[in-house]
Amino acid sequence: METVVRMGEASASNTPGDVLACIGLGSCIGLALVDRSKGVAALAHVMLPEAPKPDPPQPHKFADLAVPALLDLVLAHGGSRLRLEAALVGGAAMFQFGGSGQDIGQRNAHAVARHLETLRIPVRATEVGGSKGRTVRVAVGADLAITVREAGGTEEQLLGGVAAGRAVFV
Amino acid sequence: MNTLTDMQLDALRELANIGSGNAGTALGSMLGKSVDISVPTAALLPLPDAVAIAGGPDEMRFGVVVPIVGDMDAIVVLLFPEDDARKLCGIYGIDPHTPDGTSMLGEVGNILGTNYINVLAQMAGMRLDPAPPQVVEDMLGSILSSVLIGRGEEIEEALVLDSKLQVEEEQCSLSFLLLPDHGGIKELLGRLGL
Repeated sequence: METVVRMGEASASNTPGDVLACIGLGSCIGLALVDRSKGVAALAHVMLPEAPKPDPPQPHKFADLAVPALLDLVLAHGGSRLRLEAALVGGAAMFQFGGSGQDIGQRNAHAVARHLETLRIPVRATEVGGSKGRTVRVAVGADLAITVREAGGTEEQLLGGVAAGRAVFV
Repeated sequence: MNTLTDMQLDALRELANIGSGNAGTALGSMLGKSVDISVPTAALLPLPDAVAIAGGPDEMRFGVVVPIVGDMDAIVVLLFPEDDARKLCGIYGIDPHTPDGTSMLGEVGNILGTNYINVLAQMAGMRLDPAPPQVVEDMLGSILSSVLIGRGEEIEEALVLDSKLQVEEEQCSLSFLLLPDHGGIKELLGRLGL
C-alpha cells in the first residue's frame, strides 16, 4: 500500500511491500529514516526550518521538531537506533521572492542536516537544492529502497537494499 | 486567523468574480478571441488541501507566478496543463518550451495578474503592484507548496480564490489562483468594511 505523506505529516511502516511517498516536493524536505537490516522506514514532509513556538499541533512541519519526532516514530516501529540511516530529498529553490523567505529550501536542508548531526544519525544520501520539484518513495521491507524522481525525469535509485551495495552512496 | 465568516467568503468570491472577469476580458483582447470565466470559488483551506486544489501533486503544469506587493502581499498563480500551454502559445506559432514560449506565458500572467489586481486595488482603495512574472514547468505540488511557504511564514491555512478561464475555439483552459498572505486578507477585509 502506498501512503502519501502530505505537508507537515509523517508516516512509518515495517510491513514489507508498503511504500511511503512525498509527492511534488518543492522547497520542502522529504526526510527518510531507515533501518535497512530490519526493513523499517519513516518519512516526514518537512516545510520550515524552525518552529516559531513550542508544541505546535504538527511537529513534523518543522525541521527542529521533525527530526527527533521522526526518530521516535521509526524506533516505535522496530528500527534499531544504531542502524539508522537518513536520506534527504527536496529543498529546491523554484522561485525568487526575495525578502527573508529567500531560499527557504536551502535553509530547510541545512536545518534538517544539522539536527540529524546533533542526534548522530548518518546521512547516506541527499538529493537537494536546484530548481526542480522532486518525488521521493521509500519501499519498505527486506529490499528497502529509496527512489527519487525529478519533475519530468525518470525514477532513480537513491539508496538500495542491503544486498544492493550500500557502500556506493556512503 | 482561523475562520472567515460566510459573508466574508462571499465578498471575497465576488471580488474574485469581478477581478477574473476583468482579467479575462483583457486576455481576450490580447488574443483576439473570446474568453469564458467560470464562477470562482473562495475557500480557506488547510495547506495540504490548498496544494491539492488544482489537481494531483505529481501532475506536470506550466506555472506562472506573479508576486503582488503594496498594501497587501499576495501571489497570483496561473496553471496550464502542457496541452493548454501549447495551444495558447500556438496562437502565435510559438512552442511553450522555448524562451519565446516562456516569455509569452509570462506576458499572459502579467496581463491577467495586473487586470485582476487593478480591480481589487480600485474596489478596496489599495495600492497594489505586480512584480515581474516567473515561469516554471514542474509538478503541481512542487509549484503550489513552494509558493505557499515561499515567504517562510508559519501558516496553517491558505485563502484560495480559484477561477477557471477558457479560451474559446482553442479549447484551452487555465486555473487562476490568488493567494493573499494572512495579513493581506485582514487588510483587504478591513478596507471593505468586513
